[in-house]
Amino acid sequence: MDPTIKDFEAALTELDTIVKKLEDGDIPLEQSLQLFERGVQLSRFCHARLEEAERRIEILNERGQLQDAPAGLLTDDGDTLKAKGKS
Amino acid sequence: MSSFFDLPFEEPASAEAAGGKDEPMAATPLPPEPDARRILTVSQLTARIRTLLEEQFFEVWVEGELSNCKVWTSGHMYFTLKDRGSQIKGVMFGSALRLLRFKPQDGLRVVARGRVSVYGPKGEYQIACEHMEPEGLGARQLAFEQLKERLAAAGFFDPQRKRPLPALPRKIGIVTSLDGAAVRDIIKVLRRRYANAHLVIRPTRVQGDGAAMDIMRAVRAIGRVPDVDVVIIGRGGGSIEDLWAFNEEVVARAIAGCPVPTISAVGHETDVTIADFVADLRAPTPSAAAEMVVSRKDDFCARIDRLSQQLARTMDARLHRLDARLRLLESRSGYAGAHGRIAMRSRHAAELSHELRRAIREQLARRERAYHALRLKLETFDLRRRLGSIRTRLVAADGQLGAAFTRAHHRHDARLRTAVARLESLSPLAVLGRGYAVCWDADRTRVIRDASSVSPGDRVRVTLNRGELDCEVSKGGPG
Repeated sequence: MDPTIKDFEAALTELDTIVKKLEDGDIPLEQSLQLFERGVQLSRFCHARLEEAERRIEILNERGQLQDAPAGLLTDDGDTLKAKGKS
Repeated sequence: MSSFFDLPFEEPASAEAAGGKDEPMAATPLPPEPDARRILTVSQLTARIRTLLEEQFFEVWVEGELSNCKVWTSGHMYFTLKDRGSQIKGVMFGSALRLLRFKPQDGLRVVARGRVSVYGPKGEYQIACEHMEPEGLGARQLAFEQLKERLAAAGFFDPQRKRPLPALPRKIGIVTSLDGAAVRDIIKVLRRRYANAHLVIRPTRVQGDGAAMDIMRAVRAIGRVPDVDVVIIGRGGGSIEDLWAFNEEVVARAIAGCPVPTISAVGHETDVTIADFVADLRAPTPSAAAEMVVSRKDDFCARIDRLSQQLARTMDARLHRLDARLRLLESRSGYAGAHGRIAMRSRHAAELSHELRRAIREQLARRERAYHALRLKLETFDLRRRLGSIRTRLVAADGQLGAAFTRAHHRHDARLRTAVARLESLSPLAVLGRGYAVCWDADRTRVIRDASSVSPGDRVRVTLNRGELDCEVSKGGPG
């Protein structure tokens, strides 16, 4: 993604700061437009990051390999889980 | 019923009770006599037994093995405490049960503190426990305290060591058993709060021999998985023995050495383990850990949307102000040209205003391009409509601005024409058109107003409406 944005948290914090700056400060129009544009960029980034993560459960096994978790883990059915977990 | 009275403590109890009162009682012959002869009702007898037992065993410590443990919906636990030869029924009320740091279970040897009470309707007695602890707790407790002290001295619990959790973890690591309820609780909560969370689970034994080493390896392994930026380490509730692995030094050190922030979630709220002290954050339960690890996605979305809206609103207000200021400037410029200003100044002003106008037009064009670009970017946003209105306003502002300057320009042009006409009307040369002429000296440096200032033979110049004459004075003198 955008190399100027460190991570979700930083983006959210910066967005906060920009909104405050725009609200409080009497900054030149040109600069406030830049801030506005940056703000739009940041909120897009945040939204994207929220959607980005894969809905996925992996199991890290003893040998350090990642495998998809048994389907039983995703259900509320404890018996399925137990059966899978023990197999 | 007769066996009921064979209770082991009836005799010592009565003996003890009699002990202090022997003498005075002997002095008064009456009490024992009627007692022996009087026929009691069952209730009276039971009442006396109750008084006897409850006074004598107001607070006792008893050790034995738990069996038939059952927690009722009321929250009270009923059980039997036994040793090889005897057993006694017991109850522990929910209020006391909740304070226990372990889970009483069948087969567990415990030391219990309580009072003996009699339940008349059934002719039963039982021990009502206020406190209970597993036998052998003392040694474990000591080990716990010592390790805690050692780790504290080594700086493992220092507040400045605690790292903040990432706001939105990329992958969430979980170290727990796949068989327990904890893993499902965590998954359930995470799915609810942040449906597309990516979880990496490192299964581990959480109790029994070797559990501590297993947990240690699991914590080390999961900390190395790329993108895992927070780790939940925990298990569901259990007895203090069940939770003990989380009080082991190897686990504590593994947690302290984890390269990403950790949350410990061991047992219930009242269970405190060494892992809790070492982890960056302690969660009272595994579910609570899942809640701590990520805010609701909805909350994030709401926050971002709120910020975006504020952003748009602020820009909107900004444009409003800009517009108002332009109007003000425009209205001021109407007063700029006072009467009598000369044409040059006016022309100069017109030129300046033209430049200004071009500069502002450029600015507006640039701004409009910026907005256009932004608008394209915003296609997927709720903001779009908002920005659309801003853009409309901007275009309107641009139009107003243009119109304002056009008006100003026209006014300047008109003023220029007026000024030039005025200047012309004031010009002495204008009268020449009516047939007047101006007479200058030969150098055309001085207007000749007096005939005596020239002599015959002098040369003069005469300016006519069109052209000039070079003349020689033939006759002169005062008129």
